[in-house]
Amino acid sequence: MISQPFEYSRPGTLAEALELLSGGSTKPLAGGMSLIPMMKLRLAAPEHLIDLSRIPGLDAISEGGGSIRIGALATHYGIESSALIRAKCPLLAETAGRIGDVQVRNSGTIGGSVAHADPSSDYAAALLALDATVHIAGRRGNRSLPYAEFLVDTFTTLLEPGELVEAIEIPAENPSTGSSYQKMVQPASGFAIVGVAARVARIAGKITFARIGITGLGSKAFRAVNVEALLLAGNAAAAAAAAGDGIEANSDLHASSHYRSQMVKVYCARAISTALSRAA
Amino acid sequence: MKIAGYYTLPVARERAYDALQDPVLLAQCMPGCESLEPLGEDTYRMRMKMILASMNGLFEGKVKIAEPSKPEEFRLVVEGNGKIGFMKGDGLLRLSETDGGTDVHFEGDVTIGGTIAAVGNRLVDTTAKMMIRKFFERMTEKVRSEAATA
Amino acid sequence: MGTTLTETKTLVGQSVRRKEDPRLITGTATYVDDIQQPGMNYAAVVRSPHAAARIKGVDTKAARELPGVVAVFTGSDVAELGPVPCGASLPGLRVPYHHLLAQDRVYFVGHPVAVVVAHDRYIARDAAERVEVDYETVAAVTDSEKALAPGAPAVHPQWPDNLAFTFEQNGGDFAQAARDADVVVRQRITSQRLIPMALEPRGVVAEWRSGDKALTIYSSSQIPHLMRTLVAQILGIAENRLRVVAPEVGGGFGSKLNVYAEEALMGFVAMKTGKPVKWIESRRENFLATTHGRGHVDYLEIAAKKDGTILGLSLKLIQDLGAYHQLLTPAVPTLSVLMMPGLYRFRNIHATILGVFTNCVPTDAYRGAGRPEATHAIERIVDCLAAELKMDPAEIRFKNFVHNDEFPYLTATGLSYDSGNYAAPLEKALDLVSYSELRNQQAEARAAGRLMGIGIATYGEICAIGPSPATPAGGWESATVKIEPSGKVTVMSGVKVHGQGEETTFSQIVADELGVDMDDIVVLHGDTTLVQYGIGTFGSRATAIGGTALYFAVQDLKAKIKKFGAMMLNSDDVSFVGGRCVCNRSGKSVSLAEVAGASHRALALPPGTDPGLVATKFWEPPNFTFPFGAHIVVTEVDRETGGIKINRYVAVDDCGRIINPMIVAGQIHGGVAQGLGQALFEQAVYDESGQLVTGELTDYAVPKATMMPWIETGHTVTPSPVNPLGVKGVGEAGTIGCSPAVVNSVVDALSPLGVRHIDMPLTPEKIWTLIQGGAA
Repeated sequence: MISQPFEYSRPGTLAEALELLSGGSTKPLAGGMSLIPMMKLRLAAPEHLIDLSRIPGLDAISEGGGSIRIGALATHYGIESSALIRAKCPLLAETAGRIGDVQVRNSGTIGGSVAHADPSSDYAAALLALDATVHIAGRRGNRSLPYAEFLVDTFTTLLEPGELVEAIEIPAENPSTGSSYQKMVQPASGFAIVGVAARVARIAGKITFARIGITGLGSKAFRAVNVEALLLAGNAAAAAAAAGDGIEANSDLHASSHYRSQMVKVYCARAISTALSRAA
Repeated sequence: MKIAGYYTLPVARERAYDALQDPVLLAQCMPGCESLEPLGEDTYRMRMKMILASMNGLFEGKVKIAEPSKPEEFRLVVEGNGKIGFMKGDGLLRLSETDGGTDVHFEGDVTIGGTIAAVGNRLVDTTAKMMIRKFFERMTEKVRSEAATA
Repeated sequence: MGTTLTETKTLVGQSVRRKEDPRLITGTATYVDDIQQPGMNYAAVVRSPHAAARIKGVDTKAARELPGVVAVFTGSDVAELGPVPCGASLPGLRVPYHHLLAQDRVYFVGHPVAVVVAHDRYIARDAAERVEVDYETVAAVTDSEKALAPGAPAVHPQWPDNLAFTFEQNGGDFAQAARDADVVVRQRITSQRLIPMALEPRGVVAEWRSGDKALTIYSSSQIPHLMRTLVAQILGIAENRLRVVAPEVGGGFGSKLNVYAEEALMGFVAMKTGKPVKWIESRRENFLATTHGRGHVDYLEIAAKKDGTILGLSLKLIQDLGAYHQLLTPAVPTLSVLMMPGLYRFRNIHATILGVFTNCVPTDAYRGAGRPEATHAIERIVDCLAAELKMDPAEIRFKNFVHNDEFPYLTATGLSYDSGNYAAPLEKALDLVSYSELRNQQAEARAAGRLMGIGIATYGEICAIGPSPATPAGGWESATVKIEPSGKVTVMSGVKVHGQGEETTFSQIVADELGVDMDDIVVLHGDTTLVQYGIGTFGSRATAIGGTALYFAVQDLKAKIKKFGAMMLNSDDVSFVGGRCVCNRSGKSVSLAEVAGASHRALALPPGTDPGLVATKFWEPPNFTFPFGAHIVVTEVDRETGGIKINRYVAVDDCGRIINPMIVAGQIHGGVAQGLGQALFEQAVYDESGQLVTGELTDYAVPKATMMPWIETGHTVTPSPVNPLGVKGVGEAGTIGCSPAVVNSVVDALSPLGVRHIDMPLTPEKIWTLIQGGAA
């Protein structure tokens, strides 16, 4: 459990960080909850770690223009416990509170998680359901992408070498929308065997809005548009049962492909049901 | 770990068969493959750099084409050894003609050991599938553009 | 004149807070990794990544050339040293020579191949990577039944059948019992391989002083004295020039009841390099190379009358030994056979053990060491029998218990159960859960389509290991009690406390006996130079045997104290009470401190009495002790996911006399946690090629606090006649009672679906598949 040797820098500004990251084998360090274990196991060996933790304001959570802006370095615990996020973006707060364990939530950050793009990432399901936007900072300028576009494949995003996730932006939730994140937990690691984030709204008993994000099932998290369509068509029974159709489910020691593909339906039904109970 | 599946290449079976055994094309299509040098007798020395998330592993090993039965099937054995562990993939590829191309069915075993085996269990399946997917996506691109320029 | 009677409450029986805890909680305890020696180097072990391979060559050049590397040792450097010892002997046992480092073959992933020594642990780690080993892999086999099948790869080429031993034990006549029976129920039951997961991994510091030819080995060990004797043999040095110190040990659970290659290797390294050396295991190494627990495939047959009377039990036990024998590897399954009858009276047994080699790390003792496996199997098949006969599982157990007037009870396996009241814990547990009401609730739940289960397990266990003829290295224990001139008390115990709390419980005993303050007593253990020879801590023996040795030593001291007191008080009628020698006639008294001072100053000595106040006792137990109990678990299974929720966990245990109820409760809680781990979450999984795929804590699910149910503990107290303390032992009981109670509960929950047995761990997918109607 000893990493390869490495250089370590702790820039005080974002500009400094981006400058350092333009160099050779560098890697940004946020909470370190994914990177440090891999370095200790020698699966990852960046030559130069750029610690972002002292950059002021990078963890700020604020509201403006109808959306919530969450700095990349906001920790899962910071998000889980933020009064603003609990009020204006409850799905994100609930999801953050289900990540890993207490220690992971105290150190892990949303920016780190988003950039890492683990196929079982809890945030991924929520961010897809929330129509989130990723703000990216680079030496050559900033850009923004819908999260759905940003997330490409297993551990693969549109982040270019030297770029950093700077913030995540989420439209403020309509108070009449109900949401829920339901997760089947892998008992050793705390990862999601499957995780389903649901947002629904209804008028006079008829579902008028549905967003379902699913993680852990396949090579990356996805929006279950087929489930959403069935919900909008008033066919709630068939909706959850369609979750995961067409996706080749992952298989590992803790859940076979078949079991996982059945559990996603169960957890989708539970997420929808809880979200509906929370909807106006 | 057992793997199985199929991909469709948009070229005739004979061409698909040759493409899948062409060391130049293999080197270009195997994700992370830096070089394939012939060692003789359908065996090549391989250097492969696997990059996944922050994981970075250099593998050295062999690629071997065995039991050729042109144009229907052959066996492909890939083995690599690196600091982060070792891996071996041994698969039978069966080619059958289909509308507009060739269906390549593969069936085989992937064994991993070392650190990646201990830690990466939940990712082996995903990673193996992704690498196979990338391989066939690139191979499709290559044979298609080659057919276009022909 | 009135006499005021002050009731002195004894400390024994009270939940006195532990003396160990302040240093453990504040991080001021000294573990092996806290030990620093001037000039100390660090070692890293190079281990095989293959389960079975020939070693064609080891190239250490690149490693040796790395700046800061002091030395690299390989198999040839240690070929002449002794083997890692197996202390167990069985007729016909095949023992592969277990070199400290692999010679020409490796036999399991993690098998040590080389040792790199460097100035710091970072360089050692970097250098380990540079050692190049040329392996030629051969076929491996990791499943014990597959290893027994014809044509399986030979783990050791000289024994192609992969059988290390067969063992048979008979009692009565099982074949006749089966003929006499109305019903014979058969079941295959497994106890899967587990990783003991002590929070502190293994670690060793070794220091050699060439002038004195003296070697000191610090090791996280449960058995410092035994380890010293054996490592001296391995290294070929005089036993009295080897000092072994086991400092604070962060958990063992049996995985440190052993002598490991690394302990001798570090001694060798220190001697060769002339500098102290430290080796600390990583968690991965701990998973790969520290012994595993369990590893049973059991085939059981139970023969019974239709009224539920059990006539006999037959057991075929296939034990996964791993590639080598560690200290007790082949002996552990024999303990399963000894406890086959459990709490029941039946007299006909037939047992066969097949000890099988596999390309895995060796199995050895792990909390319960053979008894959890036995109890799990018996309690499962008794439930199967109850289901077959449509009998209530509590009723069938009551019917078959050994009767209270039958103790000491000679079992069909040749054990003499010391004392028992087997119905009492079960009655108490049933009462605590309001059993008949619970069954009504279950009926209602079932009518509503819910899968609610009630599981009962009653266990008997053999501990306080044990009478010396029945142990490989002696089963007695030692204690020395010294009273210093100031009256302070020092206890040196041959046990090795590693979480069980004897620094506290022993102090309670001494405080009561000598009338001193708990704080005036120091309990030392673990240092072979300081403490007289002892056997160590395992098999729930420390208090039953070590505490008894202490008790007897204290009695000897009390006799001497009274002699001094009599002399000092000039009386022939003295009592020793409340820490004072009192002349019963005059009421005059002297304090213990005064007696201690006088005994050292020796201005005058009682006739025939030496100066000083020291007593040493080596105590040989006449028998094992046999705790027992009943666990009841109420579960509900989520039909949609197969998830299991424990709604109630009740444990009623009888460990004889209780010295510290809080410590006993802690032992039950810890035991239940590990039992739950086995029942629901844990399994050491080797794939077909021999890779340990549960290689880190991200895949091996150890129960965490958030996964635990609330455990309600109750007790009955049936003192043991084996020792004057009346104590039986409780360290392993929780684990033994837990897994069968949990599995019985879930099988009960699923019984409406026709399920009669499930093998552990009860993962959600396994349960879900059963609910869907498939085979798990």
